[in-house]
Amino acid sequence: MLGGVVVVAVVFQAAVLPIHVATPFKPDLLLIIMVYLALRSSFELGTPLAWFLGLLKDVFSGLYLGLNAFSFLLVFLVIKSVADRLYAESGFLFVVTVVAATLVSVTGNLLLLLMFTQTPGIAYSMVAGFIPHLLVNSFAASLVALLPIFSRDQDVA
Amino acid sequence: MDLFKKYGFIALIGTGVFVALIFYSLNVPRNREANVIERGVMTVFAPILKPAERLSRFFEDTWDGYISLVDVHRENIRLRDEIKELNARVVAGNEAQKSNQRLAYLLEMKNMVKAPTLSASVVGEDVTSWFRTLIIDRGSTSGLRDGMAVVAADGVVGQIVKVAPSTSRVLLLTDHASGIAAIIQRSRARGVVKGKEGGLCSLEFTTRDEDVKVGDMVVSSGIGGVFLKGLPIGEVTMVKRGEYGIFQTVTIRPVVNMAHLEEVLIVMRGGYE
Repeated sequence: MLGGVVVVAVVFQAAVLPIHVATPFKPDLLLIIMVYLALRSSFELGTPLAWFLGLLKDVFSGLYLGLNAFSFLLVFLVIKSVADRLYAESGFLFVVTVVAATLVSVTGNLLLLLMFTQTPGIAYSMVAGFIPHLLVNSFAASLVALLPIFSRDQDVA
Repeated sequence: MDLFKKYGFIALIGTGVFVALIFYSLNVPRNREANVIERGVMTVFAPILKPAERLSRFFEDTWDGYISLVDVHRENIRLRDEIKELNARVVAGNEAQKSNQRLAYLLEMKNMVKAPTLSASVVGEDVTSWFRTLIIDRGSTSGLRDGMAVVAADGVVGQIVKVAPSTSRVLLLTDHASGIAAIIQRSRARGVVKGKEGGLCSLEFTTRDEDVKVGDMVVSSGIGGVFLKGLPIGEVTMVKRGEYGIFQTVTIRPVVNMAHLEEVLIVMRGGYE
């Protein structure tokens, strides 16, 4: 089922949403799935999956394969390290975690891009597009929190 | 007594019939006048008849209206279906017309480019907001290679990157990682077009003393061998020369509207092996 959700998310994000929403308002559906995994799945399953989701995002974004894979993995590990102490079934907490994950992910990407590539101008684009990106991600996360599957009291693993 | 019992009833009936006949025959000559009975009955019924007639007419109207409404409803549904069908035809016709127009422009560009080209459709976009790439429906099986030039009807779009067997990605000229050798068409001033924020580009490495003005057309210089010489890239929208520094700041608006690209042409030459 997770595979199907990921495929739908990628197709939605790459081919469907760009036709209907302006560029700064694209949600990061893969990041939201990753946060869901971090809160609900086991460490053993979630860690490679988080990296894989980031890699999948890299395949459809930019030039740098491994950029999002790294930041997703990082964000996953950070969330996982505190997930046991959190009430993971809370929709509000999920939205807050997505917001934090977006912040950390964008910052991580920006640092990696500045350190390893020759694209200093991208910092402006990322900073300028960050607030809409954050808002859209939190909105998408709140929609996910409303889905019946979210309230099921069971782990993904 | 028995006789009366036996024939009394028949006699009564016969008398009644006879009286009725007499009554009728007496009234035949005055057949156009209302007699007492007629007038009395009519007077009694007059106040009832009118509302009854109105009520009856109301029910008749209601019934007719209902039947008519049913018909109207059916007709409405049929007409709506017809409108939907006609609208769909109009939309399809408009779409075909627009598609035809776009392809005609693309064909003009194809004829202008002195190299073999291949058309492709845009099937996706970059999933993030800060990178500017597109996904097209052609890949290595169609002969595409990394680095090949991509153009649209209006001008330069970008370069092929990340070629898969049946799809490829195009690095748009508005991406921060893009760089295209270019010249100002009027003054032949040289520079490199690089992507910048807001869907714009900048002409970099153009020295202060070069002649660049707002409204100048920027075209590909052909240096580097990726883009053919003279392909339109964009129009200069801002020129800034500071007091210090070797270069001037030139902002360019691309001629191609990247947000609405549907078909592109790939120039099938060059590229990296």
